[in-house]
Amino acid sequence: MASDEFMRLLAAWALVHETADEGWKAAVERGKKQESGEMEEGAEAFVDGLSAMIAEEKERLKAELASGAVEPPGSRADLSVKLDELRFEVSELRGRLESMQASLDALAPDDEE
Amino acid sequence: MSARGRRIAAVALKRAALGVVGARFGLTSPARRRASFARQARLACEELGPGFIKLGQLASVRPDIFSAETVFELEKLQDSVPPVPVEAVRRVIRADLGREPEEIFASFEDEPLASASIAQVHRATLADEYAAVCGGSLSPGTRIVVKVVRPGAARTIEADLQIARRWARRFSRMRSLERFNLEGFLDEFDESLHSELDMRNEGRVADRFRFDFRDDPLVLVPRVVWSQTTRRVLTMEYIEGWRLTDITEAERSGVDAYGLAVHGANVFMRQVLVFGRFHADLHPANVFVTPDSRICYLDFGIIGRTQPRQRVAIAQVLAATVYGDADRAIRYSAELGLQIPKDKEIAVRDHVADLMSRTLSGPGRADVRGFAIGFLSMLSTYRIHVPRGYGLLIKALVTVEGCAQRLYPDIDIAGAAKPFATRLIAREMMRPARLQVKLPDALRAAMRELAE
Repeated sequence: MASDEFMRLLAAWALVHETADEGWKAAVERGKKQESGEMEEGAEAFVDGLSAMIAEEKERLKAELASGAVEPPGSRADLSVKLDELRFEVSELRGRLESMQASLDALAPDDEE
Repeated sequence: MSARGRRIAAVALKRAALGVVGARFGLTSPARRRASFARQARLACEELGPGFIKLGQLASVRPDIFSAETVFELEKLQDSVPPVPVEAVRRVIRADLGREPEEIFASFEDEPLASASIAQVHRATLADEYAAVCGGSLSPGTRIVVKVVRPGAARTIEADLQIARRWARRFSRMRSLERFNLEGFLDEFDESLHSELDMRNEGRVADRFRFDFRDDPLVLVPRVVWSQTTRRVLTMEYIEGWRLTDITEAERSGVDAYGLAVHGANVFMRQVLVFGRFHADLHPANVFVTPDSRICYLDFGIIGRTQPRQRVAIAQVLAATVYGDADRAIRYSAELGLQIPKDKEIAVRDHVADLMSRTLSGPGRADVRGFAIGFLSMLSTYRIHVPRGYGLLIKALVTVEGCAQRLYPDIDIAGAAKPFATRLIAREMMRPARLQVKLPDALRAAMRELAE
């Protein structure tokens, strides 16, 4: 029956998730126990080490989210980067104009007054 | 033929003959033969003066045209020439800024700080407050440097360039030299020279670099005083510090040498992989270390560029090199234009794997320079063309290692780059586009596993 198949699909999904989760936790644990340089001892060791690094990054991200330091795209932080870029371009343009003005003043010093 | 033409011909013939002798009349290995001619080419440039020194410097970042031996020999060229009399410098300042240096600056030193083939540098002090393009204001009394184009520099170099062009036309007809595209190289030199002769270009790149690294407290780029900068005069902040070529053991011990060396490598990665423009003329004389443990970058003559679509491949090649994965390095090199013919693929891969194990992952410190020389020589032996950007990048990477080792001689730059490379791989693995492709496959495989 269709509903049985659907339930079975969800169960399969839950099982995959649970298995992956268990595997992930074990990899993180193994990775945390690695000594310096151990990560290069093959594919398994690399995945363990990488998992531990990602878990560490996840904890940092959690802390950032909890403190409200992370903002979604299009937020104030995003806008501030764009504003910085624009301000720089305007300043750059001012620099060019100042340099041109200096050359102009050297050519026609009397026009200054 | 002009007197200068005859002199160039005489030097070239003498150096070619000495190259043949150094190569034991062709009885040594191809690498030794190339090394002998490379050494003579460097000495010829030094003998022929500023124009050829500049030409040699440009050649030193082009492993796509010249042999690895030539490229690494020419990087030893020091662009330092006797200074021009200060009156000539003052004339340029008067012509470009309309007043005597003493009327423009609070003070001006007649004794030059440095003198190179294109420009001469004098110390001065700022008279009035100046709001820089990036990084706040410079107050009156700030120590500055005034970089002035040497009068006649363009004329002298262009005269040599004309002679070199005539020779290149003749040599280009020779079949064995056809692949070097000497005329194309000289056109590019001409363009690069004109760009360098306009001091405003260097000022603009310096401003951009400073802006890019505004969030990095360890990176310092001098601020430009645009109101006292013209085509032939560049006025910028003076930075107190030690050039990597001159830094002593005592000075090194006073700063965080290891931290700065690793940070320098990360700065390079950010330039290549995040901003898409990198200092391709980096050599230890262009990098300073300040007493408060910061890295200062100078002289933005040659800038390399990377496109967004290339950056993923570059990241993969860098990570593969650091981890000694020859297969991955070759696969992603192809995306950067390195075309290896099918019949040579296995031999090249074996060669690269062997080279990696000998130079990068063998016992002792990794040797990026040794790897690069071996890799480029191997490509030359197999007659595989090196794309220009790819060559520039390899050369820049070797220079980063060289700079890091000047700071901390025992540094293993490949080892130090591993955390950065790991983050790159992780980011690449988690790219939404990649996940979109890989996840359905992974899910299907998991379902198949469950169904068994």
